[in-house]
Amino acid sequence: MSGEISIQKRQSNTTRWLLAPGIIWMSLFLVVPILMIVYVSFWTQTTFNISSDPTLASWKQFFSSDTYTGSLWTTVRIWLIVLACTFIVGYPTALFVGLFVKSKTLSTVLLVICVIPFWTSFLIRVLAWRPMLGKEGAINIVLLKLGIIQQPIEVLLFTELSVIIGMTQIYCVFMVGPIAFMLSRIDRNIIEAARDLGAGFGRIFWKIIFPLSLPGVVVGAIFVSVMVLGEFATSGALSGRKVNLLGNIIVTQVGSLKWAMASVVGVILTVVMGIVIAGLLRIVDLKREL
Amino acid sequence: MDKSVFRLDGVTKRYGDLVALDNASLEAGENEYISFLGPSGSGKTTLLRVIAGFEPPEAGRVFFNGRDITNVPAHERGIGFVFQNFALFPHLTVIQNVGFGLTHGKSGLSAAEVEKRSLEMIELVGLSGMEGRGVDQISGGQRQRVALARTLTMNPKLVLLDEPLGALDANLRSRMRTELRAIRERLGVTFVHVTGSENEALAMGDRVVVLDRGKIIQIGTPGEIYDTPASPDVAHFLNRFNLFDGTLAGGRFNAVFGSVAVPHAVRAGKDVYAVRYDRMRALAPTADPQGPAIKARFIASEYLGSSMMNFFEAEDGHVIELEHHLSLGTPQSFEARQEYLLTWNPEQAIVFGREAAR
Repeated sequence: MSGEISIQKRQSNTTRWLLAPGIIWMSLFLVVPILMIVYVSFWTQTTFNISSDPTLASWKQFFSSDTYTGSLWTTVRIWLIVLACTFIVGYPTALFVGLFVKSKTLSTVLLVICVIPFWTSFLIRVLAWRPMLGKEGAINIVLLKLGIIQQPIEVLLFTELSVIIGMTQIYCVFMVGPIAFMLSRIDRNIIEAARDLGAGFGRIFWKIIFPLSLPGVVVGAIFVSVMVLGEFATSGALSGRKVNLLGNIIVTQVGSLKWAMASVVGVILTVVMGIVIAGLLRIVDLKREL
Repeated sequence: MDKSVFRLDGVTKRYGDLVALDNASLEAGENEYISFLGPSGSGKTTLLRVIAGFEPPEAGRVFFNGRDITNVPAHERGIGFVFQNFALFPHLTVIQNVGFGLTHGKSGLSAAEVEKRSLEMIELVGLSGMEGRGVDQISGGQRQRVALARTLTMNPKLVLLDEPLGALDANLRSRMRTELRAIRERLGVTFVHVTGSENEALAMGDRVVVLDRGKIIQIGTPGEIYDTPASPDVAHFLNRFNLFDGTLAGGRFNAVFGSVAVPHAVRAGKDVYAVRYDRMRALAPTADPQGPAIKARFIASEYLGSSMMNFFEAEDGHVIELEHHLSLGTPQSFEARQEYLLTWNPEQAIVFGREAAR
């Protein structure tokens, strides 16, 4: 019938109009730039100039240099360690906020408290670790005063450790949030039922609570991974230039106008992130949880 | 009742100022189906949770199999609990749900034995062939059966069901009623079933416990409860009586329908005159009722399959219901907004009063 057809037509028109802003935005600022980066990574770079003659030189340079491949492995290593740390610190916190706190108001208040550090700027949060961790920083002073150590601990600042501490603190809340959300959605009767069936706390946790919170863990891990893999500021401010992540390389290359090399690193970083996200999404079917 | 399975002795439970259970005492025998009937907030679910061990009582003792279990934690009581919303483990399959207690509790059974017993239980509740399904891939009635099977695999001597049919649609509800009774009879365990529906309580319970505001107000067989409600409140919950407020004095009850001689009355906190819906008759307004009568306007009727419910409105706005069993013949037809004279045999009325002649 013609009436039905015109309704269908109108609906498909509406769909198109609703989709248009998103598609235009994403094409202009995501698809085109990515294609551009891939394209530029094959350009010919000379010391003071860059030309669009295609070449594999930058790619070859990346994979033949220990500095560059080393920074790839450093990035992966730091990412894995920070991911593990945010999970170890974040999961118990989320368990407390999302499951053990019975009042909804209190658990909201606790989540807001986790977010309070974000009211200051990113750089201040990172730099605040310097007077904490430094040779004459707060931690060393307290430990010296207590007589626990005789010499200040020097490995605390300007090492990989300080980068890991800083990143764990900054990104932990992105792990806590999604996990606490999933935990708070678990029906308390389920836990009571499991207990009534004779399961102890350990069994209830591993067989019921943890599997049901897994989608939250995956979402949290994706947040943390994406942010840590693209990091350059924390490592720049807390490592004393000893830890070079792919992000730091991009910053230096762009700074010296080495667009082709920066693009190569950019493409590699994007591919790594894509693999990580795809891998994490295989753990759970997020579609079922939404 | 040959042997007592559980006994409650003066159980009291408060939430702040609210008294959820007030000195409740009760005894249940082996192989019995007991239903707890009461409006919401009457304490029936609290009572169930106290028996299960989810809530500790402030005063009183709970005995199970002759042992005082008041301070025993829920999972060591050997009492099964079926939750109102079933509380199935959403990420597990049917058989994993049913076998959960055997696998993760203290049964000490091998995986093969657990599977065998789980499959037996799945067959018992009529879910054979569904054991591999996820619990979100089955219907509400099937989920109900999984919840029951999960509890029954633990071989409880007592199973507590918290409004088990509340989440099901009407058709399924009546089928599960029969099913629940049949499953219980096959296993020979005691079921305690909490419900807010008087039909369900009367249809399913070997005995019915009526609760109101934290107090047990009557315990009896469905027949006893139906024929001789112990108080106006019980009569009210049963939803089968027209209740008239009035005063009982000197063997006569005075109310809107005039003064009626009362040969026998039940002692109660207030004076109420109760007439069962199916004991009411409607006459033409000019007829001689030869007994108590009240004028009322016909509002509407409702066809219930086996009977016809007719609704009348008295002059004071009180709605009076009249049930006609269709097996007794074709129902009268009434004209809307017309006045009729409603009458009954005073000997069939149940009268409650402070000044009861008992």
